[in-house]
Parts: sequence; C-alpha cells; structure tokens
Amino acid sequence: MVAAEAAGLVAIGAGLAVGLTGIGAAIGEQSIGSAAIGVMAEDPGFFGKGLLMTVIPESIVIFGLVVSLILLFVY
Amino acid sequence: MLKPEKMTKVVIVGTKDVLEQTTETLHRLNLFHITDYDGSESGFKIGKPHTIASKLSEHLVSLRSISTQLNLSEKSSTEGMVSAKELPSMIESNLSQLEEEVSNRQDAIRAAEAELKTQQDLEGAIKPLAALPLSLEDYTGYESIRVFVGFIDNDIEDVIRAETSQYELYTGSFEGRGTIAVAVPVEKEVEINKILQNESTYMELRPPKLEGRPKSFLGGIKNKKEELSARLTELESERERIKKDYAEFILSSEEYLTIETQKAEAPLKFATSENSFVADGWIPVDRYDELERTLSETAGGNIYVSKLEVGEEEIEDVPIALSNPKVAKPFELLVNTFATPKYKEIDPSILLFITFPLFYGLMLGDIGYGVLLIFLSWIIMSKVKSGGLHELSIILLYSAFSTIFFGIIYGEVFGLPLFNLMHHGVVETGILAINGPHIGMLHLPVHRFAAVQPLLAMTFVVGILHVTLGLLIGFRNVSVEHGIKHAVLEKLCWLLILFGGIMAIVPAMPAIMGSATMDTQDPIFRGGIVLVIIGLILLIKGEGPIAIMEIPTLLSNIFSYARLLAIGLSSAGIALAVNTICKDVLFAQGGVFIAVGILVLILGHTINLLLGIIGPGLHSLRLQYVEFFTKFYEGGGTEYDPFGFIRKYTEE
Repeated sequence: MVAAEAAGLVAIGAGLAVGLTGIGAAIGEQSIGSAAIGVMAEDPGFFGKGLLMTVIPESIVIFGLVVSLILLFVY
Repeated sequence: MLKPEKMTKVVIVGTKDVLEQTTETLHRLNLFHITDYDGSESGFKIGKPHTIASKLSEHLVSLRSISTQLNLSEKSSTEGMVSAKELPSMIESNLSQLEEEVSNRQDAIRAAEAELKTQQDLEGAIKPLAALPLSLEDYTGYESIRVFVGFIDNDIEDVIRAETSQYELYTGSFEGRGTIAVAVPVEKEVEINKILQNESTYMELRPPKLEGRPKSFLGGIKNKKEELSARLTELESERERIKKDYAEFILSSEEYLTIETQKAEAPLKFATSENSFVADGWIPVDRYDELERTLSETAGGNIYVSKLEVGEEEIEDVPIALSNPKVAKPFELLVNTFATPKYKEIDPSILLFITFPLFYGLMLGDIGYGVLLIFLSWIIMSKVKSGGLHELSIILLYSAFSTIFFGIIYGEVFGLPLFNLMHHGVVETGILAINGPHIGMLHLPVHRFAAVQPLLAMTFVVGILHVTLGLLIGFRNVSVEHGIKHAVLEKLCWLLILFGGIMAIVPAMPAIMGSATMDTQDPIFRGGIVLVIIGLILLIKGEGPIAIMEIPTLLSNIFSYARLLAIGLSSAGIALAVNTICKDVLFAQGGVFIAVGILVLILGHTINLLLGIIGPGLHSLRLQYVEFFTKFYEGGGTEYDPFGFIRKYTEE
C-alpha cells in the first residue's frame, strides 16, 4: 500500500515536472514568438532566426523531462 | 576545409582610357571583390559613374515595375539564352510600348474590379428591400416623415403603437430574417429610433437613392455583373498572354540592364585622378595569376596589377569565401545564417556535415519516416534546382539516411517494432518476426521506451563530447588571434572545470543516489576536485569573479543534449499512439471503422512526419548554434562578393 502510494506520488511529481515547465516555456515563447512574427512581417528573411529564437525556451521543458525521466526510471 | 579560402589583396592601377575595358574584364571574370574607395587619399577622388548609368537604371525601374504588375516570377527552366548584343535595340523599341500596354491593362482591370464591387454593393443593398411592398423612392425625400428600414426578428408594432398612433409599418422576410419599414412623423424620430436600437436583432439598412421597384433593378444589376466578370476574365487572360509573350524579353532585359548598370556604376568604387584609376580589392590566392594574365592581355601596357601583403590590421577586412568539399557545401548555408566566420576562425561547416545529420537521426530514428524523407528531399531537389531550399533539401537527404540508420538500431518502422521486442516480460512480435542480431556489444534493437536510462546517459556523453570539441576549437581560435595565454584563461579553464566536474561527480553518483556511502579517498574524485579548483582560479583570473555565474550554463548546456532522447521519445510516442488507436481500437471493430482507421493512420503519421521534420531539424540546429557555436564562434566576417554576375537568361 505504502509502496503503491509512493509510486503514485512519483508519477504525479513526474507529471508536474513536465507540465509546469511546459507552461513556463509557453510563457517565454509567447513573447518571443510575437516579436519574431513582427520582425518577419518586416523582413521574411528573418524566418530562420526567428524560428530559432522562438524554440530557445523549449530547453526548460527538456530539463523538466529529464527530471521526470529520472523520477520514473532511475530514482 | 575548416578554414576559409586564402585571400590576397590586389591593387589594379591603370590609365583612364582602359577603365572601361578593365571593368568589362573584371565583371566577366567574376573574381574581384572590390573594396569601396572612401575618398580619403589626397589627389584621388571617387570615380564618376558612366553617363549611361542613369538611363540604364531608369529602364531597369520601368522593367521591374512591369514585372511586378505582371506578377512575373523567375522561370525554373529557360529555353535558350538571349544574345546580349540584340537586347539594347529591343529594349529601345519595345520597352515604352510594353510599359504603356501593361499599365493600360492594369488600369482597366482595376476599373472593372471597382465597378464590379459597386454593383455588388448595390445588389446587397437592394435585395432585402425587394421583400417590402415599397418603391425605392418611398424611403427618402420627405420633409415631415422619417422612414426606418432594417432587419428585425421580433414584432415591435405594439411598442411603436404605444409611442405614437401615427405610423405606417410594412414587413417582409429575406433569407430567413424579417425586414421592416416604419414611417413616422419627424417629431417622433428620436423616440422610435430609441425603440429600434433597444431591439437587439435590429440592423439598419440604407436604401440607395433610386426610383422604381427594387425587383426591377435586380435583373439589370445581374446582367451588368455578368458583363463585368466576363470583361475582367478577358482582361486577365490578355494580361496572361502579355506575360507569356514577353516573359523572356522581360527577364533577359532585366538581367542585361542589371549587368550594364553594375558595370556603369563600378567607377564609384574606384579611386580616380585626372588620368588614372586605382581599384583596390581581394581575390582568392590561387586565382591571382588568372586575373593578372587576363587583365594585361586586354589592357596591354596601360595597366599594372600587383599583389599586396595582408597586414595584421587588415585581417578584419578580408572577405570570406568558405571552402568546403562539395558534400559539405550545403552546410555553409547554416553557418552563414548564424554569422559569416572571420578570416582566422575555424569554419565549422564540415563539422555540421557530421553532427547535424547525426543528431537528427538520433532524434527521429525511424526507418519508415527516413524512407519518406528521402522521397521528400528528392522531390524538392528535382523541383528546385538552386538556392537555399535546394541546399536544405540536400541536408534533409543526409538527415534521412541517418534517420534510417538509427531506425535500424532502434528497430522502428512507423513506430512499429522491426525486431521481436521484450517488454514487461511480454514478447511483441516485430515486422521481421526475428530476434534482433548482436553486433559486438550492441544487442539490437535498442528500443527507446525500454532503454531510457542508457540512452539518457548516452545523450550526456554526446553532449560532453560536442561541448569539448567546441571548447577545443575555441582554444585554437583564441590562441591564433590573441595568443596562448588568453586561450588558457578563456577556454582551457572551462575544459578543466568540465572534466574535473565529471571526474568528481561520477564516483560520487552512488552516494548521491543514496545507495552507498561516499569514498572521499577515491583518487579520481580528488583529482577531479583539484582540476575544478585550478579551472576556477584560471577562470577568475581571466574573466573576473562574475564568470562564476556562467558555471551553471555549462551544466545546462550538457543537460540540453537530453533533447536527443526527448524529441525522439515524443515522436515515437505519437507514432505508437496512432498505431494503437488504429490496431487495437478501430480495426478491431471491423466494418466502417477500418476505413476510419486507415484515415487516422495516414493523418496521424503525416502530422508526425511534419513534426518530425520541424522538431529534430530545429533542435539539431539549436544544439549547434546555442551549445556548440557559443564555445568558439564569433563570426562577423564580410562575405566574399566578387564583382560580376552569373548569367541565367543572356549570353555575351
């Protein structure tokens, strides 16, 4: 019973790690994305750079994912 | 390879009578990167453009305006070249007439479109009124009566009657909505207006100032609209005809004029005195002889060409021509998108040639998607023959091969297992229905869901190797540019911290996980701590105490490579979900659900493939730009842009 509860809590923790970092990255990408689209409207040549800048906050989700993978498979 | 092409500085001095020939020859050679003369030397002024230049650019402006109006795009294939000799007379005789013809057509099209719009508006205004039993003149032109017309869905006669007994009310219906016309004395206008505005479904209509029954107008409007549409189609097809007839002329003249303008304006970049000119510029070292020989052949003894030593302070000005083997050429696009390297910097294109597809394959890793990507890149390559998209498609092709390679290692085809798979003690039969082969230490398949732990460890190893490579190149760049001492203080310290950190953390891992006690006597652990301390001292000496803030960045850089696994897991997860929905849920039901299942299968995998192009592509690039390039790459060089033009539509 205790073991099952602990496993459940680990799963919840793993979920929170991905979910909350996802929200964080989304908030970051929101402002970068709108700025990038603004630049692209002026000069479509910035598509590549804009897209790249936009995905930079995604690292945070990767960190969250690493944490959740460690929780689920390693811990 | 790894370094930009070696350049040499060249000065060309000649008498003014050979200026034109020299420009002509330089333009044809397409080798000489001209440095603009800034007018700073006494006795030398910036040259004057050829007198013909203004006329040429005038023609060029008209031509470009024509090609915009005709919406002319560059043809992908050309039927033969136009001789540049015939073009000047053709331009003189055709251009003004063509310009007039095109702009007349354009005006006519615009007028017809405007008229069509007017008729449509009129029709829109009259149609709802046709449902009411009134003529158009009945709505306006009174002194003591105000008529309200509009859409309304509720009956409001009672409300109006309560306000005034003097009114006339007509109702009708149009396309499922009620229409209303109310005539009231002018003194009640405000009150009635208020009643109508309070009615949420009311939408006011503005009857046009015309006379007669609405219905009688509608037929006329319809005829007029048809007439206008026909005229518009005719005008547009005429425009298409002009476009087709003159496309070759427009494209080739535009090219011809661009070239001639370039030549005519070239003296603006030269230094000139009364009787001579001096052109300063750069050329790849191994092409110098060709330039010298050709110039002296055309201008005889009136020209002097000489190679100059590149001074230390001029290194910044050297234009950069990247030089890579043909297979790695497309990756120059990715390097230049970030920044053009400086002359003494390492050009990382060849490294991207290896690591970009490697990372891409590690992330996507699926035989099925890999095969589709080969087809996709092949289609793009055969449709687009040059330019950025063509080069991207070559990069995609390399990445597709890498995807197939890792697909075999992961044993995945569209998310289905290739080999038999042991999962939670149950054997899942693979497509080949055989057990995976052993290759050395490796036991295929290394399925991503089953081997998360080792793969996660592998991504960190890849990250450490990649970052180390970046720091080593950084060490080389800094030592070439600023000397070995700076290189030690700026780059070696990071290597020491990185490897010291690894040596300290790996033996401590069991203790951190809580499964063993820490052995602080371990020589590796102690050695690691010492390395970190030496690294820290060098770092603080080199960049000040504030640089300690940067240490977590190193850690996050290496964690960042976990995306190699993460992106792959998500793509494999989507594929698995699509397959499970189809196989276990939809196909099991039979009947019509099989058709639905096939649809879900195609749609799901298409979406996943699109995500599979964007996701791994961007993230592989990001690892290069953010994690790798920041360790060594500064960029900021000028791209080598030789004076000349690659002809596409004309020939000399």
